[in-house]
Amino acid sequence: MSITLDQVTKRYQGAPVVNDVSLEVAEGEFFVLLGPSGSGKSTLLRAIAGLTGVDHGRIALHGKDVTHISARHRGVGLVFQNYALFKHMTVAENIEFALRVRRMKAAERRARRKELLRLVALEGMDDRLPTQLSGGQQQRVAVARALAHKPQVLLLDEPFGALDAKIREELRRTIRQVQRELNITTVLVTHDQEEAFALADRIGVMNLGRLLETGKPHELYATPATRFVATFLGAANLLLARQTADGIRFGAAPVDARATEKLDGMREHEVVAVVRPEEIELAPTRDKLRTNYIGSGTIDEIVFTGALERMRVRLANGGVGSQLSTSANDAPAILEVTRTQHEQRHFPLTPGQAVAIGVRRIHVLPTPLSSYTACAADKAGAERLASHPFLVELASRMKTRIVTRVEPALGSLDGQRADKPISGVAVIAARADAAAQVEWLLENGAAEVLVLPTHIAPPQRVLIHWLDEGARRPTLAVAASLLRHVPAEAVYVGIMPENANDSQRPFGVRTLLDARSEAQAVHGLEMRTELRFGAAAEELQRQLNAEPDQMLILGVSDLAQFRATCATLLSAATSASLMVVYQPTERRGTT
Amino acid sequence: MAGGPNKALLAEIASRPGRDTIASNLIKWGFIAVSLAFLAALLFAPLITVFATALSKGWQMYIASFEDSDTLAAIRLTLTTAAIVVPLNTVFGICAAWAIAKFEFKGKSVLLTLIDLPIAVSPVISGLVYVLLFGVHGWFGLWLQEHDISIIYALPGIVLATMFVTFPYVARELIPLMQQLGNDEEEAAITLGAGGLMTFFRVTLPKVRWGLVYGVILCNARAMGEFGAVSVISGHIRGQTTTMPLHVEMLYNEYNFVGAFAVASLLTMLAVVTLVIKTLVEWRTGIRKH
Repeated sequence: MSITLDQVTKRYQGAPVVNDVSLEVAEGEFFVLLGPSGSGKSTLLRAIAGLTGVDHGRIALHGKDVTHISARHRGVGLVFQNYALFKHMTVAENIEFALRVRRMKAAERRARRKELLRLVALEGMDDRLPTQLSGGQQQRVAVARALAHKPQVLLLDEPFGALDAKIREELRRTIRQVQRELNITTVLVTHDQEEAFALADRIGVMNLGRLLETGKPHELYATPATRFVATFLGAANLLLARQTADGIRFGAAPVDARATEKLDGMREHEVVAVVRPEEIELAPTRDKLRTNYIGSGTIDEIVFTGALERMRVRLANGGVGSQLSTSANDAPAILEVTRTQHEQRHFPLTPGQAVAIGVRRIHVLPTPLSSYTACAADKAGAERLASHPFLVELASRMKTRIVTRVEPALGSLDGQRADKPISGVAVIAARADAAAQVEWLLENGAAEVLVLPTHIAPPQRVLIHWLDEGARRPTLAVAASLLRHVPAEAVYVGIMPENANDSQRPFGVRTLLDARSEAQAVHGLEMRTELRFGAAAEELQRQLNAEPDQMLILGVSDLAQFRATCATLLSAATSASLMVVYQPTERRGTT
Repeated sequence: MAGGPNKALLAEIASRPGRDTIASNLIKWGFIAVSLAFLAALLFAPLITVFATALSKGWQMYIASFEDSDTLAAIRLTLTTAAIVVPLNTVFGICAAWAIAKFEFKGKSVLLTLIDLPIAVSPVISGLVYVLLFGVHGWFGLWLQEHDISIIYALPGIVLATMFVTFPYVARELIPLMQQLGNDEEEAAITLGAGGLMTFFRVTLPKVRWGLVYGVILCNARAMGEFGAVSVISGHIRGQTTTMPLHVEMLYNEYNFVGAFAVASLLTMLAVVTLVIKTLVEWRTGIRKH
């Protein structure tokens, strides 16, 4: 591997800006780090270059650990957004700077300079000053300068940021050519997805300091694993659907299971489906559709953008009716659709027209957190909970919705059943009898319950623990999904009985390592691990009291065990939020 | 490149809306006239007086006044002081500017305020502080006397007081410049393999050189012209601890007008030369901005 990052973390004033990033970039690969501004991508690049130190983790270049080696000796080439050319030196002096540092002979320097100028197509510009060049030419000089000392790794920090669209494209082509010709491992940072698609062998998407997913451009586009990647790479409609034994259903309309991934034997549950605007088909009537019908709607708005026609289609009530929306839960659902010129000629549309909607392809996100249901015994309580700042923030980051649900049974808890199963993540307020409420919700179809104290700040640290191994998988899935939207550090707390003897200890450590590697391999979640000794509830309580602003994700597979160990934890933990993940033991055999 | 006016010209056009109208022309000339009037009254008239008085008894008397050994000593002392103070303050200024512009640390704003302090404090106080510290009745006075070290009423005291008064000039000139220019070029140099010293001499120094020259010139002008602080600490020992400004006062008090104004004219010429260099530097910096 050319570049290896292992759990790299960088904090500014306590908050992680680069959070547990592990990554391998192969020899000669063109890797693009893509993310919105403030996602930590530039900091990560500077850490690779050695200009920023890291607080935790390891960086290796070509197998050699360089974590504590200064930028000067790392031998990387770095290109800055604003060129950073030495303004008082000519182009030739700029390019030869690294060679002069290395005391290379003048004749060799000249030969190397000529070669580099040819590479970036700037022959004959040797004696110009940077101020006499255009932006695009200056950046070419910067690229040549960064390559002069034959670095093994080329790093580019938003190199096209300050350039016009046309020059940008030209320079993009040059950089790709140079990279191919030299076969140099390259990492480029950008916020422009088009740029990433055009250049990358592989893309890594960052948000809130975490590296969410890596993959080939077309893979990431077709089968994203996270909401963020789905919506950041191109446009996407996120729809709530139910996964049942015979496939995905939007409301009442079943969608051909062929188009989606197979259900993995779990009980019927709510899922998040990604539908790309270009995968939607519009037709005058349902039987004219050549694809799966999902509902009907009316054209809201049409925008002509040249090659494509973009439109917004308002879904009719009773159709899909379940689109994810953060603003108002009862706002009409809007679908984004794009059509080619060919489709436009085939079926011309005008705003206000009614259409039948079909989908060619849908992709189900593997996230267990689909939507939030604020549950309380009375309407006021449920609404207060639904407007909880942390929950609202979380839902808006996840681009999902919060619905309210009044369950009088939550007040009395006299064994009354809910009339229909609870979908999505159930949310309740923290109170003395929260444990009993959690238990009631889990018995009535909820797979996850979030317990929120009235006043909490977004967590800085998320503790993960499961009471027994049966709950490991869903707990990790929930943790991974949640941590993509919360800029916190993840810590798995393994707890062994106080009286554990020496033969049991290695087992405890192995559980820890297993948990870490599973989180990493299956969910792309980097977490730290801690091993504690004592009673589970007491240890967790101690951990939660140790620092403010924490959250606990607790995996449960046996309600009796949960009641026995965690009733006190729930009534006592008033400063931390708690997410209970439930995987019933009796159903484990079916997976 | 494409035709049409260049970027600098376009920027200039855009930055001055409403130019070339009758009103704007009137206002322009009005302001220039007022400024010139002030200059004439406050600057040119005294300058002419200095030279006129110095030459009032003819060239020979003028030249003769420089043959006095005390005058020569004063000139020598002034130049020596400047030669010690200016380089030291240049080093200090670069260090302080580097620390403030390139690093984040606690107490940065306090350091900035402290650097400005000498400008806020009256020079007389600056001199007095050293008298209180190193004078016979001062904190270190006895110790210094025992070891036969003279600071007060001697060159070290004059140098200390002058340094105190002039140390903000280089730093204040460099700090905003370094902050504005940023760190990118230095970082680029480091990734290209340059060490700290090489980065400083090959990248940072050329980048800030005109600002630095400007700061040094101001520092030098003040070092040569300082009166208040030096007056307190020097003891006015004729031929030994009088700098040029002090000597001027002394000669004047002795009714030796020609001598006083001759030394004053020399001081003025030093100032004029400094200002000419400063203007050249500004002109040069101005050119480089486009």
